[in-house]
Amino acid sequence: MKVKGFMAKTENIGYKAVIIGGSAGSFQVVTNILQSLPADFPLPLLLCLHRLKHVRSGFVEALSLKSKLPVIEPFDKDAIKPGKVYLAPANYHMYIELGNRFALSTEETVNHSRPSIDLSFITAAHAFQNKLIGIILSGANKDGAYGLKVIAEMGGFTIVQDPNQCEMPTMTDAAINLFPKHNVWTIEKITNFLINLK
Amino acid sequence: MTAEELDIQLFTTAIKQASGYDFSNYSEKSLRRRLAKVLMDNKMDLKTLVAEIRKNGQFAEKIVKEITVNTTELFRDPAVWQAIRYRILPYFKEHKVINIWHAGCSTGQEVYSMLILLNEVGMLDKARVFGTDLNSDVLEVARKGVYKYRFNIGYLDNFDKVIKENPYNYEIFYDVPYSKYFEIDKNKDLITMNKFLTEKAVFKKHDLVQDDNIFPCKFDIIMCRNVIIYFNYNLQNRVFQLFHESLYPGGYLILGMHETILGPYSSFFEKKEQFYVKKTT
Ligand SMILES: C[S@@+](CC[C@H](N)C(=O)[O-])C[C@H]1O[C@@H](n2cnc3c(N)ncnc32)[C@H](O)[C@@H]1O
Repeated sequence: MKVKGFMAKTENIGYKAVIIGGSAGSFQVVTNILQSLPADFPLPLLLCLHRLKHVRSGFVEALSLKSKLPVIEPFDKDAIKPGKVYLAPANYHMYIELGNRFALSTEETVNHSRPSIDLSFITAAHAFQNKLIGIILSGANKDGAYGLKVIAEMGGFTIVQDPNQCEMPTMTDAAINLFPKHNVWTIEKITNFLINLK
Repeated sequence: MTAEELDIQLFTTAIKQASGYDFSNYSEKSLRRRLAKVLMDNKMDLKTLVAEIRKNGQFAEKIVKEITVNTTELFRDPAVWQAIRYRILPYFKEHKVINIWHAGCSTGQEVYSMLILLNEVGMLDKARVFGTDLNSDVLEVARKGVYKYRFNIGYLDNFDKVIKENPYNYEIFYDVPYSKYFEIDKNKDLITMNKFLTEKAVFKKHDLVQDDNIFPCKFDIIMCRNVIIYFNYNLQNRVFQLFHESLYPGGYLILGMHETILGPYSSFFEKKEQFYVKKTT
């Protein structure tokens, strides 16, 4: 019910994209979210997930299994389209350029990570401003905390998975410590919120 | 000031005037990020950096080198190298010579990967292999062919995949020792390419923004991976035109795993798997 009340306030804001960052312990969560989203989900969903060094392929296939939306690893300069799930490719940073396109980069790792959640979040925040929803899930390092704060500061809507629910709460804790005003929600609540986006 | 707020035009104009290099058609996000990093590394704000660039040509050159992203690996993306080995190189087997250009080769690992592969399939003698880059420092490293072991150790897995295994026939295993191609010194933390490889490779400075084909030949294969991601659409087109002119009909253009030809030049190439083949007409 709380979710409903909240929706009434936000549903007409015209969000343009959802971006999710996660690391250790987030794969199952993302799979569940994708399984729940309707085939006519109205926004692009951008995923920046750390993966093990050796899991370079097969990730898209695994995420696609239960998703009603197509899951794609974008090419450089691909247009960002609604109703699609974009996964940051292994070993590239995924930037969001103005003009609604992706840009990839092989720059050095940031926080030992490539893709870096911070970089995807920061560039998305500048591209989509207050029309962006940013979500941080379970993870074993601090990547993403700074980026989520930038999304909040640019007026975007920010959510952190309830650390009590996380397999690895380092990432969510870091996000909350850096910026306590994020919404801290359970996965059920996050999923409900996304399903109801118009 | 964050990367997003930097006035990059101020920077690109100063660099162009001081050094002749033109970054104005690079992709904006990564250029901003690089510029922010250069400012941090040099402990300067943008105004000071620009002033220094304008009055000191050598400093401008140094900044140009710091702006470029030089990450590379031995046999980066093994699946691509397997495809080159089993799908592309056999096609040139009967040719008398095979000309290969690695544009944006950075510290040369990609060039050595190709030379090793050519040797394995018995085509090294008839190959002419060129590596080019805008950054003369990385070319110096490439010519020496000496790398940090620590940073490259993970890439020995890539070597195993491409050189020892055959993805089309799992019963085949080629037991090729690393020492056939490079020497590993764990104490000194070094991997040194063998002399017959470093002597074979030719490295030259070349700027994809402004230069034409600087070689007296056309090419059978042009490899340009993870370079055009740093360029905007217009500059990418310029580069595709250059590659199209520099390839023989039927020649292969190999881009990075997540790069494609967008725009007019896509119709001059036929796409075969992840590769582009120059059309004959
Ligand atoms: C990320 S590295 C790619 C290395 C290698 N091709 C690979 O994929 O592993 C990009 C290289 O492109 C070079 N580069 C950038 N701008 C260039 C230009 N205008 N002309 C030639 N090379 C350029 C950089 O100096 C850098 O060494």
